[in-house]
Amino acid sequence: MLRKYAFVFFILPAGFLLGVFAFGAVAHSVFLSTLDWNLISPEITRVGWKNYGEVFRSEEFRLSLWNTLLYSLLFVGAIFVAPYGSAFLVTRVARRWQGVYKSLLFFPSILSLAVLSVIFLWLYNPLVGPLDRVFTSLGLRRLFWLTDRRLVVVALTIVTALKLFGYNFIVSLAGFLSVPAQIEEAALLDRASGWDLFFWIYCPLTSANAVFVLATAVVVGAQYLFVPIHMLTGGGPNYASSNLIFLIYQYGFQFFQSGKAAAVAVLTLLFFSGFIVVQAFLVERRVYYES
Amino acid sequence: MRAKLFFIHAILLSLLIFSLLPLTWMVGVSFKTAKEIFTGSVNPLPHRPTVENYALVMERSPLILYFLNTLKAASLVTGILFVVSIFAAYGFSFFRFMGRDFLFYLFLLSLFVPFHVRMIPNYLLVSELDWVNTPWGIAIPQAANALGVFLLRQGMKTIPRSLVEAALVDRAGHFEILFRVILPLLKPALAALCITFFVNAWNEYYWPLLVVSDKAKYTLPLFLRMYVSEEGGTAWGAMMAASTLVSLPLMVLYLFTQRFIIETYLKSGIKG
Repeated sequence: MLRKYAFVFFILPAGFLLGVFAFGAVAHSVFLSTLDWNLISPEITRVGWKNYGEVFRSEEFRLSLWNTLLYSLLFVGAIFVAPYGSAFLVTRVARRWQGVYKSLLFFPSILSLAVLSVIFLWLYNPLVGPLDRVFTSLGLRRLFWLTDRRLVVVALTIVTALKLFGYNFIVSLAGFLSVPAQIEEAALLDRASGWDLFFWIYCPLTSANAVFVLATAVVVGAQYLFVPIHMLTGGGPNYASSNLIFLIYQYGFQFFQSGKAAAVAVLTLLFFSGFIVVQAFLVERRVYYES
Repeated sequence: MRAKLFFIHAILLSLLIFSLLPLTWMVGVSFKTAKEIFTGSVNPLPHRPTVENYALVMERSPLILYFLNTLKAASLVTGILFVVSIFAAYGFSFFRFMGRDFLFYLFLLSLFVPFHVRMIPNYLLVSELDWVNTPWGIAIPQAANALGVFLLRQGMKTIPRSLVEAALVDRAGHFEILFRVILPLLKPALAALCITFFVNAWNEYYWPLLVVSDKAKYTLPLFLRMYVSEEGGTAWGAMMAASTLVSLPLMVLYLFTQRFIIETYLKSGIKG
């Protein structure tokens, strides 16, 4: 009898941590979003859905939501299409080169985003930064990467992409390598070209993996953006580089409006919920590459 | 065919340059003199290498202290995750109970919920427990992570159930089975997992930012942020030296364990 229920003992520690700090916390966030509170004061007022109304009407929320969409689009290119495509290209080269590309392309992914942010603070510097030298020597105009409201989204996407590119490249590669070699051999006998192989064989066979990488690019990208936003722009100029994740932090820990912060947290979860469910659904169904 | 292969290598090489050049700049500029940096050369390599930037960083900041703080927090996260993940993965792999698959799906789901969505309640709880500015406060909320459970269950799935059932018939206890039969078979996966946990905890920026306000308790990413805002974007050489020092332990770790690290991602597809 005791043995039958022994699983409780094994699952409980991890389950407790997740229950309290993940699931409990999400539920608690929903509750907090109905309060007017500053995180410290004993004065707490229940205000129902008022925070949501205020958030929706605010300029900063609209801008952050718009930027989140914009960032997502850029991420699809930079950390989905690019790593997916280059992972396929890597499968075309000799095996010994594959190893080299694999370890070097992944390398930036292990570094802290704080470090990458500092490097790009230097690269983007409009006075002494190398990018400026290159642009001005080519006769182009000086670019203010971090203070131009249209450019700043691109600038921060690049910093974040450097961290996630290698990782998504490896996961994409796992998908391509899991396709049995006989399938390609059969297609080659039918005189299939490289493009044919990519579009008619590899893309359909690795679609679960591709969707997973796409969802990761959008959801994890938005979270990783926090570091360069916090370190380089503070969300500025005038919310031009803020996203939903940063807005949660700003409402909560800079403006001390925990109700609004929790409301944005709940809305963020809703915004990404489709991607999150897809990720959890696909993570086990992706085909695995065993070396 | 040759031309095509050349073209492929050209694309991959330019990607490689694009992703490695920023790091080359970091290391290069950290060895440049202030004078050379302000001439604004595009060449990342220093003309006359100097270690003065490193001396400056080491002299001005208690880097060893930050290093130890980070090591403490990262080890704590890794240790807790290691133990609870092994147990939970065993529970999910070798028991049958009602709602098991649903519970496991919930675990998986938690992997993809952005940390920022749960941080205000986490913060309230940690300050309620008086864990602000302590390694526990940094570590425990980060230890609520199902990555290890997922990965180890993948590994345990490949172990035949009959092996465990035979041991049970021999009246071996669950602990004996876990430690004598299962874990020895999963050594590479366990090593990979530990490295991944450690790298992620080492780099963690967001959560320590919230729970650590005492400068003496700062972790390396927080130190870096403080250093950048204090130097106000002038002492570039010193900032790059600081960045290089912060990254050095991970670079060395990667040099020796890259196979394990890449393997984790090949198999899991989950970023910490």
